[in-house]
Amino acid sequence: MPVSSAAWTKVKESVTDNWYRLVLGLVSVVVFVIAWAVVSQSLADAGSSLSPYVPSPRSVAEAFVSSLTEPVPGDFRMGDMVASSLIRIFWGFLLALAVALPLGLVMGSFRAAEAMGRPLVEMFRPIPPLAWVPVFLMVFKSFWGPIAIVFMGVFFPILLNVMFGVRSVDQRLIDAARTLGARRGAVFTKVVMPTIVPYMMTGIKVGLGVGWMCIVAAEMTPVLGGTGVGYYVWLSALSYGRFDYTYATMIVIGLLSILTTGVAELLERRVSRWMGMR
Amino acid sequence: MDKKILILTIVIAAAVVLAGVATALYLRGGSGETSVGYVTMAPSLMDGWLAANQSDAYIAWEPFVSSSVVAGTGRVIMWSGEIMPNHPCCVVAVWEDFLDRPDGEDLAARFLRAHMEANEWMVEALADKDGSNYTLLLEMSAAFTLRSTAVVEEGLGHVEYGYEMDDEFLSALKQFTEMYLESNIITEQALTDLGYASVSDFVEDYVDESFLAAAAAVEPSDTILNPADEDAIRLGYLSGDLHQLAQYVAQNRTVGGGEKSLFEVYGLNVDPLPPYINGGAVMDGFNMGAIDVGYLGAPPAIQKHANLGTPVRIIAQANSEGSGIVVHVHSDIHTLEDLVGRTVATPGESSIQHLLLKIALNREDIQFVKA
Repeated sequence: MPVSSAAWTKVKESVTDNWYRLVLGLVSVVVFVIAWAVVSQSLADAGSSLSPYVPSPRSVAEAFVSSLTEPVPGDFRMGDMVASSLIRIFWGFLLALAVALPLGLVMGSFRAAEAMGRPLVEMFRPIPPLAWVPVFLMVFKSFWGPIAIVFMGVFFPILLNVMFGVRSVDQRLIDAARTLGARRGAVFTKVVMPTIVPYMMTGIKVGLGVGWMCIVAAEMTPVLGGTGVGYYVWLSALSYGRFDYTYATMIVIGLLSILTTGVAELLERRVSRWMGMR
Repeated sequence: MDKKILILTIVIAAAVVLAGVATALYLRGGSGETSVGYVTMAPSLMDGWLAANQSDAYIAWEPFVSSSVVAGTGRVIMWSGEIMPNHPCCVVAVWEDFLDRPDGEDLAARFLRAHMEANEWMVEALADKDGSNYTLLLEMSAAFTLRSTAVVEEGLGHVEYGYEMDDEFLSALKQFTEMYLESNIITEQALTDLGYASVSDFVEDYVDESFLAAAAAVEPSDTILNPADEDAIRLGYLSGDLHQLAQYVAQNRTVGGGEKSLFEVYGLNVDPLPPYINGGAVMDGFNMGAIDVGYLGAPPAIQKHANLGTPVRIIAQANSEGSGIVVHVHSDIHTLEDLVGRTVATPGESSIQHLLLKIALNREDIQFVKA
């Protein structure tokens, strides 16, 4: 039974290894929360004017839990705000993908297209998407304005990654497929697409992160920023001075960001397997 | 492979359709049948936005109500005094740490004396429209608010200046506090933590009438009592708010008798800071220790004192009433009900204007929601 014994050892190793990692991970989280509680408590004890800005972990946890079912201060609902942000980030993301993907494919495939597109890309790419906030909010208003800002944030990571993906397709594979009688369409679906999927997904994941940044910042512009989680971070902190809810909303944003990136990762695995990459 | 791409296309198409339906539902829910939407912005922008048809209506402090009326672009559908007669508006607040200075209480009383006399001077000037003081008042108002004398003349007619804090003032502050408790913006726990037993206890403790009494006994001073720059009283106030004109009048030498301003008559070196955008920002200024004496609306003073424990005391009123709801002159909006489905700009969620509009709409069973 040497084989199964070796396998057992491997399972045991992986379990202990995972346990070890889990414990270490928990330790760092617990230490962080304790440190936070200590800082919060000592600021409160010292009567510091900074104390309201560092509420206790407990009050933040309570605010977070109550925000899931109860109205939050000011008679807002966390669910409405999450929906509002999610809907706009979705459209901004989708529009960016719909434009950046074909454009990236074309610019990656044809030298002329690249030569034409590159200067424009290099002109606009270095501009932080948030610089568009005032213009887009004024022109497109509170629903489409933030969508346009998210679009600017998501567009370039996807475009550049797809372009780079197309370039890194192995020419020998294309030649081989051609030799075996593959037509242009078949070369594209069987050789080019599988290669660029991981690149595209990297662009999407980076883009989603930037997208959340954009929506939160756009919503923090109270004029025409619309409602949403970013608005509530701003409102609860600067208008109401309810920092327990500010941090609770920040946790919500973090979870949403993890969720959307997680979905993208899941899709990546699925699509790669389909395309025959894994 | 082709089949897979087909499936992928169908899945993506289905997701887009679903999201489209969700968006349509969301957008319809947002502009409901029984709600009025709001955005927030600096009042000095509001008249321009209305003129450019960028917003349906706004509520603001003077002179940004009258600026639209005089320009012929706006029409007032309701004054704040119609929502709540004699409602408190701006107050004078002082930083506790400033009072802890050896000369703090004396300087605060002197400041208040100048504030009181500036108020009296304004009321008298307004009563005699042919007098030279009236012309001077218009000039100062125009310079402070960056609007024309025609605009400020109209605006001054809608503001009630006064410094006394009577029972009506206290009961209005209690009503505001109760409303903030109801919408969970303030909690009972926060009041308890600050050592207040009840809402009345909170308001009566927060409002300190002793300085008005002390100010009445103050004598003019031949010398400046706090001449050093670092000892100057750092004065916070809102951008172009005609309600807070008293502090600007008290800086004017002609008002003070020719050689000295009212502040200087009472021996004060006052350092006016750059203007703040709203009362919430003034409270943040207090919290950071950047302001010694500030003019701001009563509601932000209540919210941040309760929630952040911002160490200030309310020592006088600055004005009552003086805000209005403005719509475009050709608009079909004539009543509060007509605002349903439209968007109103307010100076911010913590402002008195926002609160009064909410009170007025709620009376008509209309919700007030962020657009």
